[in-house]
Amino acid sequence: MSTQKNTELEEFEPNIIGFLCNWCSYAGADLAGTSRIQYPPNVKIIKVMCSGRVNPMYIINAFQQGADGVLVSGCHPGDCHYTSGNYLARRRIATMKKLLEFLGIEPDRVRMTWVSAAEGRKYADVVRELTDDIKKLGPMTKFRREKEW
Amino acid sequence: MVENKELIKVVEETVSRDDVKYVVGYKRGTYGFQIKPAFAYSAKDAKEFFYSPLCAKNLATYPLLEEKLPLRRGEEAEHKKIGIVVKGCDSRAIIQIIQEKGLEREDVVLIGIPCKGVIDPKKIAKRFPKQSKFVDVEENNNDEYILEIGGTSHKIPKDELLSDVCKSCEYPNPLLYDILIGEAEEEFQPEHFNRVDELKEKTIEERWEYWEKHFQNCIRCYACREACPLCYCKTCMVDLLEPQWVRRSVNLSENTAWNVMRAFHLAGRCISCGECERACPVNIPLMELNKFVEKEVKEMFNYTAGLDTEEKPFLGSFRPDDPEDFIS
Repeated sequence: MSTQKNTELEEFEPNIIGFLCNWCSYAGADLAGTSRIQYPPNVKIIKVMCSGRVNPMYIINAFQQGADGVLVSGCHPGDCHYTSGNYLARRRIATMKKLLEFLGIEPDRVRMTWVSAAEGRKYADVVRELTDDIKKLGPMTKFRREKEW
Repeated sequence: MVENKELIKVVEETVSRDDVKYVVGYKRGTYGFQIKPAFAYSAKDAKEFFYSPLCAKNLATYPLLEEKLPLRRGEEAEHKKIGIVVKGCDSRAIIQIIQEKGLEREDVVLIGIPCKGVIDPKKIAKRFPKQSKFVDVEENNNDEYILEIGGTSHKIPKDELLSDVCKSCEYPNPLLYDILIGEAEEEFQPEHFNRVDELKEKTIEERWEYWEKHFQNCIRCYACREACPLCYCKTCMVDLLEPQWVRRSVNLSENTAWNVMRAFHLAGRCISCGECERACPVNIPLMELNKFVEKEVKEMFNYTAGLDTEEKPFLGSFRPDDPEDFIS
């Protein structure tokens, strides 16, 4: 019985939603692919025009719909295509993480990174690290939406 | 202490001005310890205005509820002011709304009242249940409330009935006003909002258990939103159908989404009047969320809401040296 449970844990493949900005991080992920860098396939990427576009409700909604973790990635500070979108996103995500922690939801499930278009290797590392962390945390079912039909 | 005569006189003078449409204040309710908002359209309506520690409501919502009808071609909008009786926290709500360009400073006339803290209606209703007649409460100089019920006079220590948010109030005097009634209160040392600290010391699982219990009770009546002076979006995200952020069904998932959304939308905006918590029919401790976010915003970004009309909104501004230790 216990071995069965262990294998179950090992087999847990987290669902991670990645919000990547169009100009840096998405291109970075693209570079990781074209450079044939191996990284876990757990992150489902949603391309947004800017990390400042990521409404914190996207994160809550992702958790509701079955995500175990959320990655928000944008250009490095000062490199934003829209000058200040990533700075605004930084404030939002910082506040949101604190709020989630206070509510009793592990703040490590939400990760923010800066990945530029040249950092394919960094993107692969980020995904690897995040997937490992979420695997340790286990599935996020605290307020997942029930399937009603 | 605010003299009612003086208040009535000021309201009469204000409402008699040509550029003032009406004045909102407080009047005695019909039962228990309930007070009602009073609207004075002319000087004779001002007689029922009063102020006592029972006047907990934040009246800053009223100018935002004004209906703005579409105009015919060539017709000009009527620019008339609305008078509001404001306590310290209410004036901060007005400052915050002006800062967000929800109102113009010229739209309102503020009658400021220095506040000594207000009574939590839930606490007093628990202490004296089944009150069918209105009872007024007075405050003496020894930090006691005096009220007379059925011929007997009760003296209750202020600490027992005072609203929790008032204990940690930092700004009892109105920060923005046109007319100030009475003398400004002396500075006093605010207590820490200790309910937040108690919760912060618990483990993450215990915290979720605590909030799960409360969010499960939520009936999503949106009374917190309606009572809040800063929830004035024309279309609330929760009412949208396309995209539908929060489904209509009342269950833990959607209730959590709504409560997180409400708390986050008040990040750097909440002025801690405590109106959401007072309005909540199922006693969700919403001020714990608001106070926590307020404290974090102050610690991380050194930002306090509702102090300066010229300041930029918290989530609409940034500093290049904002903390980013959580970013890898």
